[in-house]
This record gives sequence, structure tokens and C-alpha cells, in this order.
Amino acid sequence: MSLIHTNTRREFLRGLGLGAAVLPFVTGLPSLASPGAPRRKQRLVIMFSPDGVVPPTFWPTEEGETFTFKESLSPLEPFKKQTLVLHGVCDRVRGDGDSHMRGIGCLLTGAELFPGNVQGGSDTPAGWSSGISIDQEVKNFLQKDPATRTRFGSLEFGVMVPDRADTWTRMSYVGPNKPIAPIDNPYQMFNKLYGRAKDQQNLKSVLDDLKEDLAKVRSSVAPADRRILDEHTSLVRQMEADLKANVTKDPGHAFPEIEPGVREDNDNMPKISKLQMDMMVSSFAADFTRVATLQYTNSVGQPRMKWLGINEGQHDLSHEPDTNKDAQDKLTRINKWYCGELAYLAKRLAETPEPGGVGSLLDNTLIVWTNELGKGNSHTLDNIPFVMVGGGLDFKMGRSLKFQRVPHNRLLLSMAHGFGHRIERFGNADFCGQGPLPLTG
Amino acid sequence: MKTPASIPLRQTIPVAAVLISLMALIVAGASGGGQKPTGEQVYRKQCASCHGAKGEGAKGYPKPLAGTLSEGQLAVFIAKSMPPGPRKCSTADSRLVAGFIHEAFYSPLAQERKRPARVELSRLTVRQYRNALADLVGSFRAVGHQDDRRGLRGEYFKANQFRPADRVVDRIDPQLRFEFGAAAAVPGQPDPYQFSIRWIGSVIAPDTGEYEFTIKTDHEVRLWVNDLNRRLIDATVKSGKDNEYRASLYLVGGRAYPLRVEFGKGVTGVNNLEVLKKKPALPATVVLEWKPPGALVSSGIPTRCLAPSFFAEGYSVSAPFPPDDRSIGYERGTTISKAWEEATTEGAIETTGYIAAHLAELSGVKDADPDREKSLRVFCRKFAERAFRRPLTAEMEQSFVGSHFDGSKDLDTSVKRSLLLVLKSPRFLYREAGAASRDAYDVASKLSFGLWDTLPDQALLRAAAAGELQTSEQISQQAARMASDPRAWTKLREFFLQWLKVDAHPELPKDAKRFPGFDASVAEDLRTSLELFLERTVWSDKSDYRELLLSDSVFVNGKLAPMYGASLPADSGFQPVAINPGERAGVLTHPYIMSTFAYQSGSSPIHRGVLLARSVMGRTLRPPKEAIVPLSAELRPDLTTRQRVALQTKSEACMSCHDLINPLGFSLEKFDAIGRFQTSENGKPVVATGSYVTTSGKSVKFTGAKDLAEFVAGSQEAHSAFVERLFHHLVKQPVRAYGPKTLADLTRYFQANEFSIRKLMVEIMARTASGV
Repeated sequence: MSLIHTNTRREFLRGLGLGAAVLPFVTGLPSLASPGAPRRKQRLVIMFSPDGVVPPTFWPTEEGETFTFKESLSPLEPFKKQTLVLHGVCDRVRGDGDSHMRGIGCLLTGAELFPGNVQGGSDTPAGWSSGISIDQEVKNFLQKDPATRTRFGSLEFGVMVPDRADTWTRMSYVGPNKPIAPIDNPYQMFNKLYGRAKDQQNLKSVLDDLKEDLAKVRSSVAPADRRILDEHTSLVRQMEADLKANVTKDPGHAFPEIEPGVREDNDNMPKISKLQMDMMVSSFAADFTRVATLQYTNSVGQPRMKWLGINEGQHDLSHEPDTNKDAQDKLTRINKWYCGELAYLAKRLAETPEPGGVGSLLDNTLIVWTNELGKGNSHTLDNIPFVMVGGGLDFKMGRSLKFQRVPHNRLLLSMAHGFGHRIERFGNADFCGQGPLPLTG
Repeated sequence: MKTPASIPLRQTIPVAAVLISLMALIVAGASGGGQKPTGEQVYRKQCASCHGAKGEGAKGYPKPLAGTLSEGQLAVFIAKSMPPGPRKCSTADSRLVAGFIHEAFYSPLAQERKRPARVELSRLTVRQYRNALADLVGSFRAVGHQDDRRGLRGEYFKANQFRPADRVVDRIDPQLRFEFGAAAAVPGQPDPYQFSIRWIGSVIAPDTGEYEFTIKTDHEVRLWVNDLNRRLIDATVKSGKDNEYRASLYLVGGRAYPLRVEFGKGVTGVNNLEVLKKKPALPATVVLEWKPPGALVSSGIPTRCLAPSFFAEGYSVSAPFPPDDRSIGYERGTTISKAWEEATTEGAIETTGYIAAHLAELSGVKDADPDREKSLRVFCRKFAERAFRRPLTAEMEQSFVGSHFDGSKDLDTSVKRSLLLVLKSPRFLYREAGAASRDAYDVASKLSFGLWDTLPDQALLRAAAAGELQTSEQISQQAARMASDPRAWTKLREFFLQWLKVDAHPELPKDAKRFPGFDASVAEDLRTSLELFLERTVWSDKSDYRELLLSDSVFVNGKLAPMYGASLPADSGFQPVAINPGERAGVLTHPYIMSTFAYQSGSSPIHRGVLLARSVMGRTLRPPKEAIVPLSAELRPDLTTRQRVALQTKSEACMSCHDLINPLGFSLEKFDAIGRFQTSENGKPVVATGSYVTTSGKSVKFTGAKDLAEFVAGSQEAHSAFVERLFHHLVKQPVRAYGPKTLADLTRYFQANEFSIRKLMVEIMARTASGV
């Protein structure tokens, strides 16, 4: 409980010697935003899809609160008021590695790649990123405080990520040279989240048999040896009581049923995507984590979206010139599909009430959808797509914003500040001038 | 072995504690001359009439004297309230009496000792539990056979990939430690810019526990250990200055695990060799090291722990367990605790999870099999039978297998529940449970836990089923077969490390000025040297106990040789060298033992004497009453170590134990704090005379280690002590429970059979398993 008793928030701030001028900054600071009252849970999801976008069918023409979604973003129509589209945010980090490598490796870290032995299609060979990624930075910040600490801290979901660890397949980093492999097998993720609960359920189901067995063995040993088995039996009873107590305490015990036997296969990508998102939503509802990433394939990703009638690989298509109408049309449909997945996640979050809080999970979650490139055929790192949905970080949503080539490090700073983690630099400090992007309105 | 009644406390104390507390000093009655009475005499005179001669109670006070007061508390109580009436026992006498009755019958430990020995129902020890699970899961996989070849198979390729057409060399490399410089790796491989090497084979884990593997390289590398579908280290990406990669894995001792290393020089991703070749070729190194459980430093995996043949993946349960009770000198499972019970639950969950993840492979039942349910039931039945070491009755089959499948649609859950119940059942967890009457399966189980610390293998179960474990001869034959299996060596090796009190893997910090170059890696090499000696001596056909004590050679490599006065080329591997001929005495003077039982700069006759008294001669010593800081050499530079020890322990109180300890330890004084031979100390000649009074009262004198070793090798009580210890290590039940003559019989057998340790092992197990 706070030692300072105040009636209003303004009084409280005055008590701290903070005037009205600092108010906008303070709102981003959860511990000050609502003294005394339980802090709202805040969550961050970073969703990645590869190979750039088709700018004319992606970016809204207008700036401000009145804008129209183009084809690629049309699935977000139902969430328009909760959507913030940022144009003009650029990955300005340079150094070793080709654009695809730096595109994914510097995307969430804002830091250069180390020199290394991975050779891309151009430029110099490179290794891993030299910095921590923003999702892990936020995770560490939340895990430090018992009030925001969760069982996992962060979860890294993947969809059809190739089984090789290299610069193109990793976007989250625990620190320099320490990439995290996303889990793209839904059953592996299920085990991580609910394996324990399932094991305990199985254990409980055999306890009666076990007690019976102990009694039988007891009757067959010498009387002097029964003491140890009696002791054993009472320990089993104790475990039974502990298990019962656990089930009522643990909110994660109600685990979701997931469709069995979905194989990791290109054509199953839509199914896997939904399974992963469903588990993400239930892990938020159980407060297993407040940070999640969702990585579709990899940088240079080559999914073949046959379910859209597209047989070519996405990366191959992304190299086609602007004049190839068919390719541009297919790329638009591909990005619209990713956007549809984003809308599905938003919908699932919006449908799920915030446990013990107000509103829905979406009201307390910010989803950031991004990409390693601005545009596939030019390999530009300018105008990296950043489309955000949800009310997790007090950004003023329902807008289309256009910046003048601002470094994306500033956006990463905004994410940290949105959690009250007021760091001054993230990644390469040269790109952090002027601090976080003003997104709170 | 007879233990004198006055010092019957059997207790192992950690080496660290011993370091500061070994000087025994008995406070009570320390002053004053003349013939002082002993505690026992005082008790007989003043207390026995009311309490009985052995504290069992008498007319005056019928209840037995037993309780939990400490010796000090007891002394205070006696002085205050005994005997009833106005005249109380003197403080000095109270202390004497308390000391006597506490150890003779009052304390819980004394009570425990007094109980008649019997074979107690015991759970598996932690070691047995881990082995049993490894072998239970392993029994569903093809068995590999370790042959004598050692090292790893190395295949060298002239490109940055592993195409058979590019392979230029296929050979066996004894170790994985290469510095290629900027050149190609092998002749025939023309390109210094790009080449790749694949090493395959197995790694043999000597101990159970966490192994840390390290790869040092400035290029691309991947490492698999055990699970060949999961990269333990994946450094396909070389990034920044990172050139050292570590990962840990829990392995079960005495088992071989598949291992693969892939190394590549060049670039990965898009190949642009032309660009690369514009600059000079980079140097290349690749080194594989490990840090076994307890090891002080990471070091190259020794050749004897590498094999070029591939073994099946192994399973090891990593759930942490509370340590077993070793208070009476050997690990035993006669007590359980909540922590243990919880650990068995963790272990069961971990194991069923592993099996579920490998179900198709282990059960041989495909997911799409139309008879899947039926086949999985069979798998679960086999699993239960192997876990319980006997066939299931129809009733058991229903409760352990059938009931979990009946009416279930989710077969994977049925399997998990059946296995969970099996692994939590007392029939798995207790060694002697589940056999209503003794039968052949019981014999099989005793043999396998005794010789291998694990479940019976298929051959043993087949013999039991076929009625071939009936006669003593049949049982001896099986025991003999099993005693030549590597698992028997694993168990014997543990015995010797415990016997020599180095199982805890001591650190050996030494004075850098006196012993320049003696660091942790030298300490590790000395340990290897000891292990090689044990293996070559014990795991040989002769397996002669006397050789252990009398051998005058020491295994040294190029690094150790100059330190111990042997001359070997610097890059020599370990080999036996006779150093200081006529002075060395096997394990008794082995540099690792001498270094362990020593201080940083000086020897420690007391630590050495305690090791000799307890382990070698089987004597029991009580821990000292008070911790005494040893007199430092700087304070008395005029004295030798021997003189300082004699000075500090000369009081009568100390002498009750130190007259046994010191003269044994003194005989090893010619070996300094790192086990080098020395003839003088600070310019004074070293005196290595010693003596020993046998339990029958005969006084023996000797000069130097060799003399001592010859005495031990011919000593009845040393033989008996060794046999008893080995018996307890194998059987994990008190030898007295097998009849009053068993120990003497076995000792005679040992003496009559050229002191063959392996024959003794077989004899002990054949006797106990058949219930003779």
C-alpha cells in the first residue's frame, strides 16, 4: 500500500512535486498512473511476416483520424478505431549483412549485426545481432517486478519457421549473440504451457490404484518392513491433498483442447497459425505471459499460399518488378492474408474479457505487425510496416500517422516507455535522438 | 572385523570439515596424573546396579537408558541429578560416564547399532533408480556392444558440405583437439579456404550427473550428444568474437551415448568463395572438451571415454533427488522422505513424457497401426514386467495396464497413466518388494542390483524364466558373466573412489610458490592417473588387491612427468612409469591421494592416518570433540611436520585416537603435499617410521610406505575390512544379517583366491543372491 494518502491523481502528482506539464509523460508510467488501485495488465505482441509489402495497396493515403484502409489492410476494418498505422519509420541500422539479414536481425534490436560467416545475396557476411530485442527488454522489465512477473515472462510463437538457426530465422534476442528459437510446433507449445497440468491430471487418475498397490505390497512383506511402506502411503496421501489444492489455485488448469495431428507442412500454415494464436490468447487469459512474439516463416520466407490459389513462393514473387501486375496482385493478397491473421488475433482478444479487470484482453494488449523490409523488390529498409492494434500501451489509436524517415529505434523506445520502462536509448544510440515517437496523442 | 567397544562410532565426515577438526582432544579429565578410570569403569561402579550393565534397566530403574540428549547435555544432567540422594557424581566422572553411555547404548545411533542385523526392505538408492530408468527405457532399443576401439571416427571432406564424393580421409582420431593453422586439414585436401570434418562415435560417461560440453572454434560447428535429432550446440553462425560454445546434459554413468560433431570452414548461406579467396586463408582450430560432474576444469575428453562405434540414444532422468543416507559407510535406501517421494513423482513424469515423445520408436507401434491399442497394451505390459523384474499376474496386468485402456479413446493418455502407475509403484521403487516368496526372479534382481546397481538384463530374466537360476552353480555362472560387464566396473570404480575418499572430487589448491604449475588441470590429470591405475589393476584378469597396495608405477603423461621426476616427451599420453623405485606403494602413495590428504604446502600425517585407519584397516574413529587449528609451519619453523603433529596431539586426551592415527600417517611422510618423494623437509631429514597395534594387541613397526603396504597386504584385519566394505557397497545390507560366519568365510575365500577382487565380487553376490 502506498504511504502517501491522496484523494485525486492530480493531488498525488503534486505531492511528488510533479506539475501538470509532466502529466503526459507520467501517464505512460503505470506505477504512477493509478496509485493505490491495482495496475492494469499490459501486454505486447509482435507479429512478423516476411519479404516486404506492396506500398500502393498497403499504406493509407490520408494522415490522421480519418483514413481508409487499402486492400492489404482491409481485414482490419472492424478494428479501425483500435488501429494505428505508422508510415515513415525506417530501419536505419547499417553494417554487415544483407538487407534481409539486417532487416530481421536489427528489427527488434535496433543494433548492428556482428561480423560473421553468414553470407547473404549481397554485402558482407555477418553473424547474430549485437543487442537484445525489445520484446525481451520489456520481458526483463516486467519480470523484475513481482507485481508484473508471470510464469514465462515471454512466449515466442512461430509458424512454419525453417529448422535452421541463422540470421534469417531469428528476430528475438536475449542479448548480443543470443537469439531465441521460436516454437513453431503447436504441440510443443502446448506441452510448454499445459504439459504440467496434464501430467498432474494423469497422476491424480492413478492415485487410487497406487494406494491399493501399496496396501497389497505391504501385506506381502515382513511385519518389520511395514513401517517404511506406511510412511510411503501417508506421503502419497499428502501428495493427493497437495494436488487437489493445486488444481483450485492454478488458473491454468483449464487447458484448451487443440486439434491433434496437424503436421508441420506448408499447406497446414493457416491451421497452425490459428492454433498458435488460440494458445497465445489462452496463455494471456491465464496470465502465463505478458509478452509474445509470433513469427511467420522467416526473413526471405518462401511460403506457398496455395489456399489462396497462389503456387509461387512468396520470396520469389517479392523480387518481381512493380510492372508485373500479377505478382503485385498476389503479393497484395498474401499480405492481406497475414492481415487477416492479425484481425483474427485481435478478434479473439476482443472476445475474451480481461480476467479480474475491465474490458477485453485487446483493450490491454498492443499487437505490432511488422516486416524485415519496406518493399521486396527494392530490399529497402525504409518505411518498414508497423501496424498496431489494441489498447495495451495508451497509444492514441484509430489513426494513420506519417513520419519523415524516423529511425525505428525511436519506436522501440516508445514500446518500452509504454510499459513505464523509461530508457533513453535502445540499440544504436545514434538513432535514439529525440526519444520515443510521440504516439500517446 | 572387531571394533573396540570404546570407539564404535561409525561416521563419515566431509573432508572439508576434517581439514580443520581432525585433532581430537578430549576435554574431560584431561589433566591430572595417575591411573584414571574410564567411563565404563565409572559406570560399572556407580550406575550399573540401578540401570543394568548395558543400560537395559534393573530393579532400581527398570526403563532402558535411551534418548536424544547430546553427550554434553547428558553430562550436565548426570552431574546435577545422579545418583539420587545428596552426593552427586563429580563433574569429571559425569563427563566420562556420559561419553561412555552415549556411545554404548544411549544415543539413537547406538540404539540403531544394537538392533539385530536383518535384511531390511529398502528402496532403490538414487544411483540405482537412475540406472534402472536408463536401462528400462534402453531395453526397448537395440543394444550396442562396446568394443575395445577408442577415439572418434573422423571423416574429412574437401568442401563445405558432407558429400561422399568429397570425402578425402576417413580415420580414427584419439581426441578432438586440432589446430590446422591457415592450411588445409589433411593431405589430399587442397583447399585451405573451405573444408569440413565430421566426427562420429560415442562418448562414455564415467559418472552420473551433469556434463558440460565445450567447443572452441573460430568457424562453423554443430554438436549432438545422445539425441541425434537435437543439436546440443549449434554454432552454424559464427558471429562476432564468439569462439567458445557450452551446453550441458545429464548423463548416467557407465553408459555410452552417441556423439556427432560437424565442423566447417568457409561461409554459410550464399557461397561466395571467390570473394573469400581474395584474402589470405584464416586459421582454423577446433577443440571439444567436457567438464564431467564434479570436475574442477574443462578438459579434453580422454580417449578412453570416446568410441568410434555408434550406440543407441540413451535416456537419463534428470529430476533432482535428495542424497542417500551414507551415515554407516555405504549408500542405502532404508528411509524415505517427502523430498524423495516428490522426486520419484518428478522422475515418473519426466520418464513418461520422454517415452510419450518417443512412443512409436520405443514400442515399435506406428501411429497409423490398425492394431495400435492391442500393441500398446503389450508394450505397457512389457514395461511393467521389466520395471518389476518379474512377469505380471493376470490381476496385476489388469490393474497396471488393462484398466487404463478399457473404454479409453485417447491411447496416448492410457499409455502415460499405465507407465506413471508402474513408475510410482513400490514394486519398482523397492528392491525387495513384490516377491511374496523367494523365487528365481528374486535371485535375478539381487544379482543385477548387487553387481550393476540396475535392473536384470534380458539374459538374466530369460534364465529366471527357464529355471536356470536354481543351483548355486547356475547362480555363480550368471554372477561371473555379469562381473565382466562394463556395468560391474562402473560399480567397482565407485567403490574404490569411495574407499579412498575421493568420490566427492576434492579441489586441490596448492601453494603456488612451493609447487609452481600445480593447478586445477594438474589436479584433474592426477585424478585421471589414479583412475587409470585402478582400472588397469582391478579391471584386469588378476584383479589383485595386493597389487593395488604394492605397485611401484604411476600413470603420468607429458605434463605430469617433469613434476614427478619422470622423463617423457611433452605430448605423451598417460602411461605407467616406475618412479622412485622401491618407495612407491600403489594407491597408498599415489600423488592424487597424497595431494588430497595434505595441506596447501605441507603434508598431513593426520588426514593420511585417518584414511589408513578407517578405510584401509577398517578401524572406527570418533570425530574430535573440538576443532583444532593445526599449528602453522611458520610459527614453528624449527620443527618438521611430524614433530609439529606430535607436539600438538601429545596430550593424553588426543592420544586416545591419535596414537592410532599418527604412526600410520607418519609412515607416508616421504611424500609431500603433491605426492612427490622427499627425503628432507626444511633441511631436516624426513623420518617415515610408523607403527600399528592390531585389534588383537600385537604391535607392528614399519619404515616408509612400502613397508606399511607390505604389512597391510598381509594383514588379516585389513583383508576383513576390505571384504566387509565391498560387501556393503554391493549388497547394501549389513553383512551380519547374512549370518555370523559370512564375513569370515568370505575373507578366507578372498585370501584363498589370490586376493582377486573380481572373484570376491562374484562370490559375495552368488552367496547373497542364492540366500546361502
